[in-house]
Amino acid sequence: MPQIELIHVSKTYRDHVSVRALSEVSLTLEKADFAASVGPSGSGKTTLLNLVGAIDTPDSGIIRIAGLEITATPASRLAEFRLRHIGFVFQSFNLFPVLSVIENLAFVPALQGMPKAEREARAERLLAEVGMGALRDKRPDELSGGQQQRVAVLRAILPEPDLVLADEPTANLDSENAALLLDMMGRLNRERGVTFLFSTHDPAVMSRARRLIRLRDGRIISDEVREP
Amino acid sequence: MLFWQMAWRNVWRYRRRSLLTVLTISLGLAFNILMRGIGDGFHEQMVDNSVRAGIGHIEIHRAGYQRDPALLKTLPDLPLLERVAPATPHLIGCSFRVLGDGLASTAENSSGVRIIGIVPETERTVTTINRAVIAGQFLDEQMSRPVLIGERLAQSLGAGLHDKIVLVVQAADGSMGAQLFRVAGIFRSGSPDLDRGVVYLLRKDAQSLFSLGDGVTEAALLLDSSESVAAAQRYLASRLAGAPVEILPWYVVEPFLRQFIQLDDAFFYIIVLILFFVISVGILNTVMMSVFERVREFGVMMALGAKPRQVVRLVIQESGALALLGVALGATLGSAATILIAYTGLDLSHYAAGASALGITTTVIRPELTSQNVIVSCLSVMLVVLLVALYPAIKAARLRPVEAIRHI
Repeated sequence: MPQIELIHVSKTYRDHVSVRALSEVSLTLEKADFAASVGPSGSGKTTLLNLVGAIDTPDSGIIRIAGLEITATPASRLAEFRLRHIGFVFQSFNLFPVLSVIENLAFVPALQGMPKAEREARAERLLAEVGMGALRDKRPDELSGGQQQRVAVLRAILPEPDLVLADEPTANLDSENAALLLDMMGRLNRERGVTFLFSTHDPAVMSRARRLIRLRDGRIISDEVREP
Repeated sequence: MLFWQMAWRNVWRYRRRSLLTVLTISLGLAFNILMRGIGDGFHEQMVDNSVRAGIGHIEIHRAGYQRDPALLKTLPDLPLLERVAPATPHLIGCSFRVLGDGLASTAENSSGVRIIGIVPETERTVTTINRAVIAGQFLDEQMSRPVLIGERLAQSLGAGLHDKIVLVVQAADGSMGAQLFRVAGIFRSGSPDLDRGVVYLLRKDAQSLFSLGDGVTEAALLLDSSESVAAAQRYLASRLAGAPVEILPWYVVEPFLRQFIQLDDAFFYIIVLILFFVISVGILNTVMMSVFERVREFGVMMALGAKPRQVVRLVIQESGALALLGVALGATLGSAATILIAYTGLDLSHYAAGASALGITTTVIRPELTSQNVIVSCLSVMLVVLLVALYPAIKAARLRPVEAIRHI
């Protein structure tokens, strides 16, 4: 069963003018894929991530994630679906400023109802794994951009979702921090079998992706699978 | 627990704004507690003045006397009443009186008066009239036909101490009664009605004047507080069941006083409503700004899987934390101010003339602090804050994550 399946998905934004963001897109991603959607601004990369992440709805088409047809799932159940199955990494980190690193990591497990001791133990183990244990009690504003984005990735990974969606995760990082971040995501992908789907302009990300989905004007113009 | 932590820290994230909001809540609450305390103290004092001016907390008459006072309607079964009334719970004093109307005359003038026949020893336990004597002395059973008159009546009659006064009445048997008395004392109660229209004399003299024999018109009971009226009334009703008497609390005897207190309460509630409205606007502004500034954060929360009700909970908890701080500070400030003013007294002597017309003879108001007042005020403020926060909370919960995350 594919991890992600899109069948003839279209999305048009109607504001002052109508903009067709995705047009009849069909796509499947398997478990443990490490894929990047690339293309110029306005090509539909972020829209694709939003639709797959169930935070936006298509005008037409079918989307199945981890076996659930989210396009036929009521909005009231989608929050629970995101909580259990999807991790997000945002371009501008979006950590909660009033929570420490360990509390940020434990936020989603807390929503899932995991006991405090267990979620904090898991967060500490994960931090230690990536060599960031010393940062556990820091607040986001005490971290560098690279550190914040790595914490954001760990926050997405900790609940062990089926899928992590990362929107331009390296856009605000220098090349050294971007490399560190990609190393970490690659390792999590290999060792834990987490599926990653990025949207990116960054050649560094593209070079590491095992699958490149090129978008232009809301359509997939190429879908290249590469050997690791 | 995590949400409480987030809420508490979010409150301190915008320290100055939060402190201003807490201050608004606390000052509003403190004002509410103080004003309620002043109102309660003012009302209690009015009631106290009235009951001590003569009516007592409870009056007992023959049934029908209140509706149609008549001299012949004397209390039935006086021995039973004289046994039961002194044993009333919360009783401070009890006075059996003779009441009637008549004409007081001197060589110079005459005036219609209310005649009250008292036993000085028991009357002292119910009223404060003995302490209002400004010339001469209070009545004494040893004196021969003494009367105690108000200062204004003395002026209008042109009567001074030891002067003669003739009281002319229609007696119970229909005859005209006229007897000579001497002014033993002049009082100034502060109540215009008492000072110009009442003559006190010994009960035995009044019984003679009105040809009542041993008849007594009313029993006036003074209790430890107006809160005790219901319990005392229940006791008297049970012990006097079957006797043709009416047991009347002060607010039936003086309905005007109760209506004034109710009207005053209504004005107070209008002020409280305006106050709560002002507090609400302040809270709404704070919470709306707080929500607006964190649209992206709420979007991220929801994208990560937070449900709308959890977002509502977070915003409500933040407002609840502000309200708790405001209520704690406000209750402390309000209680302290009430206690302080109760200790020093609120001097209204500048308005004494107007106050005396309302039955206020003591011009220093002492606010009352009651736990009920503080608890009700605190809960009301908490409720108002939480209700007001509901609107921005629901607005936050209705954000679409995809749009909220893009919010700058």
